[in-house]
Amino acid sequence: MSGQKITIEYNDRVVRQFLLATVIWGAVGMLVGVLIAAQLNFWQLNFATPWLTFGRLRPFHTNAVIFAFVGNMMFAGIYYSTQRLVKARLASDFLSSLHFWGWQFIIVCAAVTLPLGFTRGKEYAELIWPINLMVVLIWVVFAVNFFWTLARRREPALYVAIWFYIATIVTVAMLYIVNHLSIPTSLLHSYPVFSGVQDALVQWWYGHNAVAFFLTTPILGIMYYFLPKAAERPVYSYRLSVVHFWSLVFIYIWAGPHHLLNTALPGWLQNLGMTFSLMLWAPSWGGMLNGLLTLRGAWHKLRTDPVLKFYAAAVTFYGMATFEGPLLSIKSVNALAHYTDWIIGHVHAGTLGWNGFMAAGLIYWLLPRLWNKPLYSTALANLHFWIGTVGILLYVAAMWTSGITQGLMLNATTEHGTVLAYPNFLDTLNTIRPMMLMRVIGGGLYLAGWFLLVYNFYRTVKGAAPVNGTIEVYDEEPAPDGKLSLAGTFFSAPTLFWFLAVGFGSMWMFGADLVSTTGIVGAVACLIAAFALVPSRSKAWGGWYEKLLLNALPFTLLVFFAVVAGGLIQIIPTVLVQKAKNVEDRIQTPYTPLELAGRDIYVREGCYLCHSQMIRTLVPDILRYGDYSRLGESIYDHPFQWGSKRTGPDLARVGVKYPNIWHLRHMEDPRSISPGSNMPTYPWLLSHRLDASVLPAKIKVQRLLGVPYGPLTAQQIFDSVDEQAKGIAKDLRASGGYVESDQEIVALIAYLQTLGKALPVITKSAAH
Amino acid sequence: MFKRLILEDSSIWYLITAFVTAATIFLIITWRAVRMPRAEVDKFAQLPFTTDADERHDPSA
Repeated sequence: MSGQKITIEYNDRVVRQFLLATVIWGAVGMLVGVLIAAQLNFWQLNFATPWLTFGRLRPFHTNAVIFAFVGNMMFAGIYYSTQRLVKARLASDFLSSLHFWGWQFIIVCAAVTLPLGFTRGKEYAELIWPINLMVVLIWVVFAVNFFWTLARRREPALYVAIWFYIATIVTVAMLYIVNHLSIPTSLLHSYPVFSGVQDALVQWWYGHNAVAFFLTTPILGIMYYFLPKAAERPVYSYRLSVVHFWSLVFIYIWAGPHHLLNTALPGWLQNLGMTFSLMLWAPSWGGMLNGLLTLRGAWHKLRTDPVLKFYAAAVTFYGMATFEGPLLSIKSVNALAHYTDWIIGHVHAGTLGWNGFMAAGLIYWLLPRLWNKPLYSTALANLHFWIGTVGILLYVAAMWTSGITQGLMLNATTEHGTVLAYPNFLDTLNTIRPMMLMRVIGGGLYLAGWFLLVYNFYRTVKGAAPVNGTIEVYDEEPAPDGKLSLAGTFFSAPTLFWFLAVGFGSMWMFGADLVSTTGIVGAVACLIAAFALVPSRSKAWGGWYEKLLLNALPFTLLVFFAVVAGGLIQIIPTVLVQKAKNVEDRIQTPYTPLELAGRDIYVREGCYLCHSQMIRTLVPDILRYGDYSRLGESIYDHPFQWGSKRTGPDLARVGVKYPNIWHLRHMEDPRSISPGSNMPTYPWLLSHRLDASVLPAKIKVQRLLGVPYGPLTAQQIFDSVDEQAKGIAKDLRASGGYVESDQEIVALIAYLQTLGKALPVITKSAAH
Repeated sequence: MFKRLILEDSSIWYLITAFVTAATIFLIITWRAVRMPRAEVDKFAQLPFTTDADERHDPSA
């Protein structure tokens, strides 16, 4: 053995910091989750207070559990395992520290701004633009620290867990940046650059892949490292893990449109999303089986070892959730399940079962190693497992029952499908109330289990000295024969064939006439050439692939190209085509300044979290809410507000239904209009003055984004607001509602009353 | 062309092409994984354990 023997001390300090943050933010996020679940049962728990209202706390809950809880857990697991897998200390203590404190600062900023109503109005992407910039900066810090560590590694081979981490880092960066592209109107507000269907597609491309690449791939990497370690045996099939990785990376990125089935999204994208979601069954279950079978010969340990219990249950929940996901992506199943609690149950099977239990297993496994002290109480950890499991099962079963009940009742018709069986939306709400209460109990049990972990954590760490792992290694360079240069990566036959095939395929599908023909010929020629060369070149291509697995940078770049292809092919056509001149049937009229102000209040209060604005191309939707929504009806909506859940009814055509006074009374006290409603009250909208001074800047940005406003001066904008608001206030007074014309409620009413009033498009032939 | 692709459902070939592409990649990767030499598979699978014998836990500074 050449080289000098040296001792490496791992940076486990940052692992401990992230672990502690996981425990704290997990408790906070879950506590808020239980509170908002309770608010849906008991509207009084909104306390008629803006920052405690469901619409503002729900983004707090989702952001806390995704980015604070799972994010911190992911960083702890990645940093611990990567150092050991590559036999190198993290490259920079400064970057590690900056990463940790920067991420916590972001979380605190989010925890302050979201309850205050500062939001971008897109699910899981609510954080305002200055925080978005911080997220990007800290993510870059994480990436630099990670790849720098890989560059200094003493183990040339890259274990499959590292592949999953690489895919996470590059894909999350891409998704986050694209979906957060915005133009600021002030320090705390911005409008996304995409609108309507573009925004919907980009949002769910991001939203779905946030699940894929933030909640799944890093945790799979953690599974592939920590599960074998806990079971004290290697992964069941390394070959299967390779197939699992590549198929997830190639397929997941295409599945986003399944969140928009039966909507105004173009049919080809819906079919694409559904098909690729179904294809996800294979790799997901491959991974799940690989995880479970790693426990072969170790099942007897589950009786006593809480870590293995958590891992076994987590992997089982992963399998359950990834079976259910594709099932829900089938259009006909989705017609029943979408907008209902079934989706909430599905999501929580994944987050509580897969993410939460993986986190618990990771914490219980790491605690004794990072503090060099046995876990305070194995019995408490076992109790945590059982309470948590019962909690998840109650939660999920309640939401499945509730969701299917909602779907069946809301879609039920009589008189040969011409009349709704349950025309009153509240009939459904009151039917599912017991299940909603069961959710609170299930979530409460899960939270109680987490508090047991917090106590166990505290008692274990109390009085213990933190320790850093060390190993002795030979300070030698990796063998040079495994090196793959960038030129060798990209000017190799497999890469060139891949680029040519994607290029020609895109020309074929998106081009016209000669371009399309060239695309077909090129794609076919590519395939023939590749197959012709297989017999003579397969050995060399195999060697190239083997080298790829030892070279982090080329590997990373190719993973990036694999995920970016799926995104671009879906998004570019949609972005290019959604122009007013292409829209058929109906087209949206730009909002008046007052309506725009009202829309921003609608976004601020998180109304989109309970109300959709998308009447699907389904008979029950049309019978209940009116004519189905057209693509052109939200063409100027920055951000889109199609929604993903109907705790209350759809609002796409609410503007043609009720007088102004109805909306005033409804916002003031929903139960005075709709007995049995669980909607919060919004008394502050009747006392807060509308800040119209921000409108000129907002309209300027809207114009910049292509919304056809005329060249309005600030004074014209204020005059327009004043005139329309006075008209509404006068109408309200005539009906017995007394509010000043400059109150926020007036702007919100103006916005609600414009919904569903898009103009029919007059085609040239019709005009003549 | 873009307009036709967006507004009509006639692009079934697009879906089939995407499916075939993904399926091809899946099969190639599966083939490569199945053909991995036994020794190499074992070496990779053992990577999480290579530092176990050497690792100590020393009090941090």
